Amino acid sequence: MRIVTALIILLALASLPFWVSAYILAVLTVAYYFGVFAMAWDLLFGFAGEVNFGPTFLIGLGAYSAGLLDNHGVPVWLCVIAGALAAVIGGFVLALPALRLRGPYFGLITLVAVLVLQQVIVIFAGVTGGEIGLTINDVLSVDSGHNYWLALAFLVISGLILYSFSRSAAGLILQACGQDAIEAQALGFNVAKHKLAAFAVSALFSGLAGAMLVFYLGTASVDTVVDISVGVQIIIAAVLGGRRTIVGAAIGAVFLIVAGEILRPLGQLNTFVVSAIALVVILFFPDGLVGYLLRRGERA
Amino acid sequence: MTPPLLEVSGLTKRFGGLVAVKNLGFSIAAGEILGLIGPNGSGKSTAMKLIMGIERANIGSVRLAGREIVSWPTHRIARAGIGLVFQHSRPLHRQTVLENIKLALLPDSLFQLAAERSVDAKARAIGERVGLGAVLDRHPTTLPFADLRRMELAKAIARDPEVVLVDEPFAGLTLAEVESFSALIRSFREEGKAVLLVDHNVKGVAALVDRVLAMYLGERIAEGQADAVMRDETVRRVYLGGAIETHARAIAPEKSGVPLLKVTDLSVFYGKAQALERVALEVHEREFVSVVGLNGAGKTTLFNAISGLVPYAGAIEWRGGALAGKTPAAIARGGIAQCPETRELFGDMSVQENLDLGGQHQPPAERAARLIWLYDLFPILKSRSKQLARTLSGGEQQMLAIARALMMNPSLLILDEPTLGLAPVILEQLSKALERLRETTSITVLLGEQNVTFALPHADRVYVLEHARIIWQGPPDRFAAEAGAGYL
Amino acid sequence: MRGLQILVDGFAISTLYALGAIGFSLIFGVSGVLNLAHGGIMVAAAVAAWYIAGPLGAGQYVGALAGVGCGIIAAFATYGLVVRPIQRSRAIPRDETEIFVLTATLLWGIMIQEAIAYFFTDSPITVRPLINGVVDIFGVRTPANEILTAAICWVSIGLLWLLVNRTRAGKTLLAASINPRGLTLLGFELSSVYLLVWAIYGVLAAIAGVLLAMFLGTSSNNIGVLTASAFSIVVLGGLGSVSGSLIAAYIIGYLETVTAYLISPTLRTIPSLLLLVLVVYLRPQGLFGRR
Repeated sequence: MRIVTALIILLALASLPFWVSAYILAVLTVAYYFGVFAMAWDLLFGFAGEVNFGPTFLIGLGAYSAGLLDNHGVPVWLCVIAGALAAVIGGFVLALPALRLRGPYFGLITLVAVLVLQQVIVIFAGVTGGEIGLTINDVLSVDSGHNYWLALAFLVISGLILYSFSRSAAGLILQACGQDAIEAQALGFNVAKHKLAAFAVSALFSGLAGAMLVFYLGTASVDTVVDISVGVQIIIAAVLGGRRTIVGAAIGAVFLIVAGEILRPLGQLNTFVVSAIALVVILFFPDGLVGYLLRRGERA
Repeated sequence: MTPPLLEVSGLTKRFGGLVAVKNLGFSIAAGEILGLIGPNGSGKSTAMKLIMGIERANIGSVRLAGREIVSWPTHRIARAGIGLVFQHSRPLHRQTVLENIKLALLPDSLFQLAAERSVDAKARAIGERVGLGAVLDRHPTTLPFADLRRMELAKAIARDPEVVLVDEPFAGLTLAEVESFSALIRSFREEGKAVLLVDHNVKGVAALVDRVLAMYLGERIAEGQADAVMRDETVRRVYLGGAIETHARAIAPEKSGVPLLKVTDLSVFYGKAQALERVALEVHEREFVSVVGLNGAGKTTLFNAISGLVPYAGAIEWRGGALAGKTPAAIARGGIAQCPETRELFGDMSVQENLDLGGQHQPPAERAARLIWLYDLFPILKSRSKQLARTLSGGEQQMLAIARALMMNPSLLILDEPTLGLAPVILEQLSKALERLRETTSITVLLGEQNVTFALPHADRVYVLEHARIIWQGPPDRFAAEAGAGYL
Repeated sequence: MRGLQILVDGFAISTLYALGAIGFSLIFGVSGVLNLAHGGIMVAAAVAAWYIAGPLGAGQYVGALAGVGCGIIAAFATYGLVVRPIQRSRAIPRDETEIFVLTATLLWGIMIQEAIAYFFTDSPITVRPLINGVVDIFGVRTPANEILTAAICWVSIGLLWLLVNRTRAGKTLLAASINPRGLTLLGFELSSVYLLVWAIYGVLAAIAGVLLAMFLGTSSNNIGVLTASAFSIVVLGGLGSVSGSLIAAYIIGYLETVTAYLISPTLRTIPSLLLLVLVVYLRPQGLFGRR
């Protein structure tokens, strides 16, 4: 039943390029990449139990590595892979303190990681384009429909992989590690190994999505892929959709981006309204949208 | 004779200046159950964590079937064959009971995407064995407390360890549940596993264990057959104090009219564990009432319910009016001062500052007068008045905690386990101070104690709390004859 | 000459940092809350001071006072509308309260930022200084207001010290930070202790915000950076240690000033960020924190 519903929704989404405007497609394309960011974040937070305030550190590494390589004439597909690899290395750098530090300290390290990356980009403005951003010559496709399909396919494939991982035996162990590390160890699981793996997987998808996003946008800038406010948006999306669900994160991201777009006529006030909605959801429905539905399902 | 499966020797653990475990040694053979007992703070839980590698020992050795494992990480110790049944656990809530058990059957691999087919059947069999057969597909949040404990046991069984450590196996269980748990633990023995049961008291585990090792303040104080350990002089002194004395007061306080404190039908649950079951109790003006019971019987919960710190069912009346709905602070200002087991001192403030805070709701003149009176009652505090509370010795801290509560000029003083972890000579000083309090003031006292020798001499009336219920009440001189035998 | 310049400028900026971070540290110490809307409260106070002093024409003194009032209101709103509902919520598991408070205060900070940008302005504002003129300190020409700023900060810090160590209310705050349960048992309502500490926090953050707007200017876009710098200072000094925050503020303030003068203004924040990373790796409890 669920699978049928999901397939119908998927087909409906795939058919959009035939009957909606390029503008709507463009909004959704960006939303889908954000969906992958949010799912990757949820894997770390919801399953490994690590609060990463700097998802944009991983995304930014992926985006800028890909963009810089492209400016040196490397083929696009190689740039995307290199971006993903750079993010994975970044993931290991973040994981080292995560294995030693607790709670707010790790949260701070992730924030600082973003600030450092941001400063480095600004300082080496000659190479990175600094605050103006890095112009990227290649694009994934010039056709908005193709770009849309690519993003949708990427979202669906990433979602399937991340969701299956979260439901797999390894995902079960990861969840146990995140919930109670001592008990997981007493059951014979090497918590450090499993958390490291989670960081690597989360970073891989963040980096891939970041790299693909800059090739879609044709530019990489601090404001779009590195700034802390972008990271905050990703976290809000995942919490809004429902922590520990993977799917919820994607739905939350699409909702957030689309809501922001619908509220655009409010002008500067739209961020205010979106933040207020998110705050209300956090205060009154802390399990998020999908979490709320799941909980009702469990009770029934 | 079979060689020991688990061999512990010279194990020592220090936390800062505190020695939690001191030169501990014991061994358990295959097919043997050892009870490790001791009152709260005796180091038994730390010892268990040291074996499991959750805490690192300063020195000492832990051998599993002859192999030294003391420096290994926890997950490696677990894989080598030691399993731990936690007292409190955090199951995976989104998963079913079956999936929770399956987790314990998984290999420590990153690339195991789907569990093997045999795992499912195995998990079901283990679930059936521990009595979870009917609820395997439910979520842990919907289970009663005993079933959650069964699930923890199932996880330990799934790991098929050679050595099983069980932390407080029967806490929060009903008598019938205790029976079925005991049967499960006995089955470990039949399978040739070595079992270590950690518990507060001998009584709970006596029927199950082959041997008992008693600890106090980090050291072994007795080892042997359960009944021998129960009769052991040192053990009895640790749990009960010395010989029991009682002093009936010349003029017993009048027990007429409205009781000062009246508890009826009080039940408290922690999540799904029942900590108090339909407890009834009365304290009259000027009375000194003792509630005795072993650690874990529910004394602290009773006092916390009276102080409004835990939610409860039933009624607690103070001078005839209900206390329900008042904040803990309002209850304290209303005249019920609690001096908790944990003392809750302000460690980084001086003795004087601690006392001042206790008296802050009193008029200045009253405050000054009480301070003089308390310094007279506890002279040691006067000489330490400028010292930080956390630098005081255990006995001095306890005196400060009592004095701080008395600064509030309470009508009822609740003393929870004041003797916890104190040396005998300190107990005597404390006992004298309580005696003076009883003789010279009109204060009403409700004392909770495990140490009967300490609790009885001052008491006008005694309640015995066991397993969340009041099982006996009466005057202290009848305690030894009617309730003393079954106490430990 | 230049050394002296660094000494003077660094002192003023460090003192401002200290005042901004101490309130943040106090709230954490007493009630365990990391308020990521901190920058929002500072800038709200600054904008109120600027708007009432400038566009409304009430003068800088009335403006400054109104700014402080606004800071108190913003602090109470943060506590009453965001933090307390989360702490009391039954739907949020106890062990996740922290992450919810962090996320919610972050959102609240964004809301303050956007509200200021929409109803007032998002371009940089400068509050008119309380006094004008320039003073010569051993050859370094220093605006009189810079000296006044440092003086007000130090007086505020001194008053806070007196409050905490010499008054009954202050002792209660201290006791709450050491052992809240013990305080409850002595008949103190923790809810009123928390209201008091949020009020003090509001005053400190507001003074820091208004002075910052006089000294360097500020804007709603600064909110995130201000929060991050307070957070960094507090972590560097040791979470919950007020004196640690004070020392850390001077370390960061001088490190930034030295970098800006001797290397390059664009690199201003880099060394302090690296120092922070290093300290958190090697000594997670901070330079002066206890385990």
